[in-house]
Amino acid sequence: MTESFGARLLRVLLTQRIALLGLLIVAVVSTFFIQDAGGYLTAPYDFDYMSAALINAVPLAMLGLAELLVILSGRGGIDLSVGAIVSLAGMTFGFAYGEWGWPLWAAIILTALFGALCGALNGFLVSYIGFPALIATLATYYAYKSLAIVINDQQPISTKPIQQLFSISESVELPLFGQYVPDVPLGIFTFLVPTVVAVWVLLARTAYGRRLYAIGTNDVAARWSGLPVRDTRFTAYVYAGLLSGLVAVVTVGQFASARPDAGVSGNGMALPAITIAVLGGVAITGGIGRVAGVVLATLLIVWLNAGILLAFVGNEGAQYQLLALGAVLIFAALLNGLTNRRYGGTS
Amino acid sequence: MNGKPRVLPAPVTGQEVVLLGVIAVLWTALAVSTPAFLTAGSIQPLLVATAPVALVGIGMTIVIVTGGIDVSVGGAIMVCSVLTAKALVEAEAGLGVAVLLAVAAGGVLGLVNGVLIAYGRVHAIIITFGTANLFLFLGLRIFGSGTVNGIPGTLAFFGRGTAGRTLGVPHAFLITALLTVAAWWYLRHTAGGRHFFAIGGDAQAARLAGVRVRRRVLLAYLTTGLLVGLASCFVIAQGTSTLDQSVGSGKELAVIAAVVIGGTSIMGGRGSVLGTFLGALLVQSVASGVTQLGWRSQLSDLFVGVFIIVAVGADLLRARARARRNR
Repeated sequence: MTESFGARLLRVLLTQRIALLGLLIVAVVSTFFIQDAGGYLTAPYDFDYMSAALINAVPLAMLGLAELLVILSGRGGIDLSVGAIVSLAGMTFGFAYGEWGWPLWAAIILTALFGALCGALNGFLVSYIGFPALIATLATYYAYKSLAIVINDQQPISTKPIQQLFSISESVELPLFGQYVPDVPLGIFTFLVPTVVAVWVLLARTAYGRRLYAIGTNDVAARWSGLPVRDTRFTAYVYAGLLSGLVAVVTVGQFASARPDAGVSGNGMALPAITIAVLGGVAITGGIGRVAGVVLATLLIVWLNAGILLAFVGNEGAQYQLLALGAVLIFAALLNGLTNRRYGGTS
Repeated sequence: MNGKPRVLPAPVTGQEVVLLGVIAVLWTALAVSTPAFLTAGSIQPLLVATAPVALVGIGMTIVIVTGGIDVSVGGAIMVCSVLTAKALVEAEAGLGVAVLLAVAAGGVLGLVNGVLIAYGRVHAIIITFGTANLFLFLGLRIFGSGTVNGIPGTLAFFGRGTAGRTLGVPHAFLITALLTVAAWWYLRHTAGGRHFFAIGGDAQAARLAGVRVRRRVLLAYLTTGLLVGLASCFVIAQGTSTLDQSVGSGKELAVIAAVVIGGTSIMGGRGSVLGTFLGALLVQSVASGVTQLGWRSQLSDLFVGVFIIVAVGADLLRARARARRNR
């Protein structure tokens, strides 16, 4: 039976999450360009502004990838503690680099390893003891958050070396053709791109990635085919903690200070990260999800948020960002449900 | 009774007895170390602070028993309390009107969650993460700017003062305890109540057995919303005459922690509102103890985390031992 062009287009948009996200990004950006041309925005929405806004994509996409790994692992995998790890690992970084005078590379490695250790506790509880991930990470969310606040008596660390770190959030001109394109935030190259490449290689090009998809899809079948289900799931949480540790370094740089509430103030960082993952087409039941989906979902949210900030005055913008995030998440989730019923799943 | 299958679970589970014991030990230890603890001036605020979490916990227990979850209650509390506070200040609403308004507002928000979850066929955590953002947006819009000031003492009946107590027991706590017992009876002794457990155990099987699954699920979130409305009245009555935008923040996790510590299984099908009530009391006792010992108040979160791990871990080990015995 031949499909009409319209039906095929609809099927591609609904089953290929990347196609849908691409379309939404084009729609959002062009909407703001038109508004900009009409003079409705408080400041110009152009390529320079979009490029500068990418600084917000660094922590968001990295934590979205952390959620991708744990949600993929199945059995209700989710990590509510990523924001609290960002806070606690950020304080660790503050001590090592800001107080004890460690060299930058050593402090970054320590922070990443510390984040991995926090993730390992989550993974141990979930994978070896059998805690539901929601409960284990809710408990460690409380514990890490509390430790981050009491460890330095509620005080942020902002000594001179920490303040000078702000340079990693600055924008740089690209070599060779940099004069023709907007300057890009340095964090994109130092943190985001390496992370995206590493997670993509891990998932798409290694045996570990195959195993993770396998246990997320059906862990009983995976066990019967001889896969190390527990170790694989445990490792997913360790990687999520490691990524949260790296985000802690980025966050300290952005704030020019190691803040004990960095990852948990307001709504926290876990909620947006899970939202990005779900919007990117990651199935909450596990086994389905791609790096490209998470990256595109991040770009959509970052450029949408950036536009909303210009469309409203004062703190109204921040409020409408909440509305946009919630509406987009529910829209994406209902769409996932519809797609599953009609076409048997999203890829 | 020997050999007959038991239709009802035991009236009180092991977890509840353990919780009661832990609370007793904790209270004794606090009474010994800080003589001020076992006085009305210390216990009454503790009970008042327990009430909203335990009250919303009734609804959350039912929701989790059906296999769902609601992470939007923090945002919902914000919407209901700012709406009600504004009605008290700007329209000079009376006690009855204020309570009705809060409960109705909570009911509407619960209905939104319920409809999306029951009919959208999407996992509850995703939907309520989404509505949490929508509710926060709504709450902040109603706030307008900053805070609501000059809230009159209309809701003092639920508050900390003498008007809020009968025979020394705070009304907010009394109402919560009564509603908990009512919910406990309903869940245990009526067919409708048992249906929630059936859905959490196996929704498909429940549907085939004639349970109207969607309607029940909808009812669970609606109940949570209605209770959120009443809890918002408690929250307003507890505070001073000012309501700020941090109201409700983080409450969803506090409620879920109480439910989980109370022995309700996050996988659904098993749970108890009495456990949740005790869980909320335990968490609040720890918070109160930490303050009275002169420690930093945020340290109580560390204990909450440890309690969750210990309570759920003990339950997991028991289940594992049960499975071994039955093999």
